[in-house]
Amino acid sequence: MPLSILLPMVILGIAGIALLLHVLGLSRRAVLADTAAARAAWLREFPEDSPIRVILCHDHSAALIETARGRGVVWPMGADTTARYLDGARVRQRKGGLTLDLPDYTAPRIRLTLSPEEATSWCALLEARV
Amino acid sequence: MSDTPIYPDVVNWAVPLFIAAILAELLWIVIKGRGGRYETRDALTSLLMGAGNVAESIVLGFVAYGFFMVLWEITPLDLGHSVWVIALCFVLDDLRYYWVHRFGHRVRWVWASHVNHHSSQHYNLTTALRQTWTGTFTFMMVVRAPLILLGFHPAMVLFVGGLNLIYQFWIHTEAIGRLPRWVEAVMNTPSHHRVHHGRNPRYLDCNYAGVFIIWDKMFGTFVPELECEKVDYGLVHNLGTFNPLRVAFHEWIGIWRDVTQPGLTWRERLNYCVMPPGWSHDDSRGTSQTIKARYLATHPEEAGTPGLSVPSGHNP
Repeated sequence: MPLSILLPMVILGIAGIALLLHVLGLSRRAVLADTAAARAAWLREFPEDSPIRVILCHDHSAALIETARGRGVVWPMGADTTARYLDGARVRQRKGGLTLDLPDYTAPRIRLTLSPEEATSWCALLEARV
Repeated sequence: MSDTPIYPDVVNWAVPLFIAAILAELLWIVIKGRGGRYETRDALTSLLMGAGNVAESIVLGFVAYGFFMVLWEITPLDLGHSVWVIALCFVLDDLRYYWVHRFGHRVRWVWASHVNHHSSQHYNLTTALRQTWTGTFTFMMVVRAPLILLGFHPAMVLFVGGLNLIYQFWIHTEAIGRLPRWVEAVMNTPSHHRVHHGRNPRYLDCNYAGVFIIWDKMFGTFVPELECEKVDYGLVHNLGTFNPLRVAFHEWIGIWRDVTQPGLTWRERLNYCVMPPGWSHDDSRGTSQTIKARYLATHPEEAGTPGLSVPSGHNP
């Protein structure tokens, strides 16, 4: 197929599908229904390290996890979730929440949406232990 | 040597079909409220990975084709271009695909290229297009060498490889349940391939087939989809980014970081490249075999069930 046809078709196809998905409301991020859901999301990534403590944020978009091995976070990846330990994380407070910079090529930056009070308390918690 | 007919670039010609099928699957899911899931950024990343794969084949395709043409000059054999030869080439190339795919899961150097295909937590037709940008660097084109040396023309080998890829597109769906028994017995199907994309311990490293599932049954890597265990899609450790560059290169970066650690022997550095994904010199990580063994340690009643027969003598 000539590139003059292939290229516009690929660009329009990708853009069209992405736009359609967004219009259909399929850009919604995952919500952690409760602490049990946050715990399950953590165990899905680290099945051998059970949470000792789970702190769910106010809009249920993320959770701070404490285990015997250390601290971690669960956050949405689109309609799903993932989790990481916070070893070596750099924590920055910003308007609307916290930014966590990790030394991890597969999760270099996590933006958490938190209330101002949560951001302050999570920041203090993380800086105390990170 | 026979005159070479022109073989169409079937993958590029299939692009309109890919787009139409994705729209049809999406419509089905939205109308019926079942049959799979879509999410905007996940799908966009998959589609961009597919576009990047086509671009890579345009830019670096000459490497593999040049290698094949050198082999074609060497070989005294020429099987011609009859329909039967093309059909035989298709079957043998599918056997080639099985082994390349198996290496892709068992050798970290090859996994570094293939991992991106498994990096979505979704399983829909866009996942099929989440293809590698770095396939050339795995050097897996050498596995096609026997076909060329046996007298199958390089253009034919690439043609049937394209057909193989197109076949595998439609099996990346949850909208199709099980097919008639004879189909499930012989062909790779959505059910068999869903299992291949599972991150459940039971479903790790199985069902490598491209078109014919018989290779997995022959070589002992077949695991059926179980009603009692829903497939959980994605990687053992799911990515925390949708950035296509990070999706494409993250395992290569991981290899680099592991290989350049101070204090390792040269054998350990080599092993970080060629041992199964999850291998580490200090056993601080886990391969799929380790994950299965650890799972069985907490679920001993499942020992011996499909996908969970850990080799004897393995220590978790």
